[in-house]
Amino acid sequence: MPLMPERVKYRKMHRGNRAGLAYRGSTVAFGEYGLMSLERCWLDTKQIEAARVAIARNMKRHGKMWIRIFPQKSFTKKPLETRMGKGKGPLESWVAVIRPANVLFEVDGVTEAIARESLRLAATKLPIKTKFISRHRMG
Amino acid sequence: MKSVPLNAFPRTRAGRSGVKKLRTDGRIPAVIYGRQTKPQNLEVSTKELEDLIHHSASENILVDLAVEQQKRLALVQEVQHHPLNGRVLHVDFHEVSETEKVTIMVPVETTGEAVGVKTGGGVLEHVLFKIKVRALPKDLPEQILVDVTNLELGKSIHLGEITPPPGVEILGDKKVSVISVAMPRTEEEEAAAAEAAPAAAGDVEMIKEKKEEGEEGAAPAKAGEKAAAKPGEKAPAAAAPADKKAAVPAEKKK
Repeated sequence: MPLMPERVKYRKMHRGNRAGLAYRGSTVAFGEYGLMSLERCWLDTKQIEAARVAIARNMKRHGKMWIRIFPQKSFTKKPLETRMGKGKGPLESWVAVIRPANVLFEVDGVTEAIARESLRLAATKLPIKTKFISRHRMG
Repeated sequence: MKSVPLNAFPRTRAGRSGVKKLRTDGRIPAVIYGRQTKPQNLEVSTKELEDLIHHSASENILVDLAVEQQKRLALVQEVQHHPLNGRVLHVDFHEVSETEKVTIMVPVETTGEAVGVKTGGGVLEHVLFKIKVRALPKDLPEQILVDVTNLELGKSIHLGEITPPPGVEILGDKKVSVISVAMPRTEEEEAAAAEAAPAAAGDVEMIKEKKEEGEEGAAPAKAGEKAAAKPGEKAPAAAAPADKKAAVPAEKKK
């Protein structure tokens, strides 16, 4: 399933603001362990998918995984060697706006060692610093 | 639940800047409220409170608050944490009476390894992480332990099947599942997920083109509809500029 909205009212969006911390989506809500962002970024569909695949491969059909973020935001890019002006460029991809303290992925049904390793592998696919958290303790 | 002693002091500093200074001084802002008394702003020692929280099984703690040489029995109603570093920012104390029953949410924890997980390769799922209970403050449990050793694959433990500690009443629909052992993912499901992944990039392009066409087509049509609704000769005149605008970028692109 491609990670992008099925229907949107307007395709092209403003860049928006990504200041502050993530006050919502900052706790482990479904699983036992989670991966929390420590920096801010735009995570695109491919990066989220790469991290998901890394977790799924390491967990080898055991346990369960939740993706807590969704790329709701579209971003555009002008083609190469194009002069400025002539309106906003075509759609490039879809991204999720990540702020520090966002829980990105959650896992359950595996031992802490497997969860740590799976989420570490997922973190290597992401452009930001992250930390492993548990439902019962931070860090 | 055993009550734990905690010292608290009346607080005069309020507002964002006030509580910031308080936190740098090693104090945590708190408030106490209840049915019988008026709400009062308090402050507690950060170290004392964090030790208290770390040494308890959950954040449901019954405290004997000592405020100005006066003992007040209270439940920790809410603990606000910093989203990034988890430090305690604020605490709500709910003053309770020893003789009056209270309703709180208590975390559910499991003990043992389920048969379905051990032999069947299933996944133990928590459907409910907290359940609502009603009891006298002294009878309140810090957490509810559920033994899942005999839980088989595809089976679940319902709210009605959990035996509460003495003096405690579990509230809610008895048929609601609390803990279950889900079936493991089959190889076919895994393969289907893997196949779906590479198609994702292509799909984005297709849906994007579709939307562009759909919206471009829809915009002049809407303008036309609006123009048609207007009475008199203005209708064709209004439609014409829209067509021209649409035509100009296409020519320029060439």
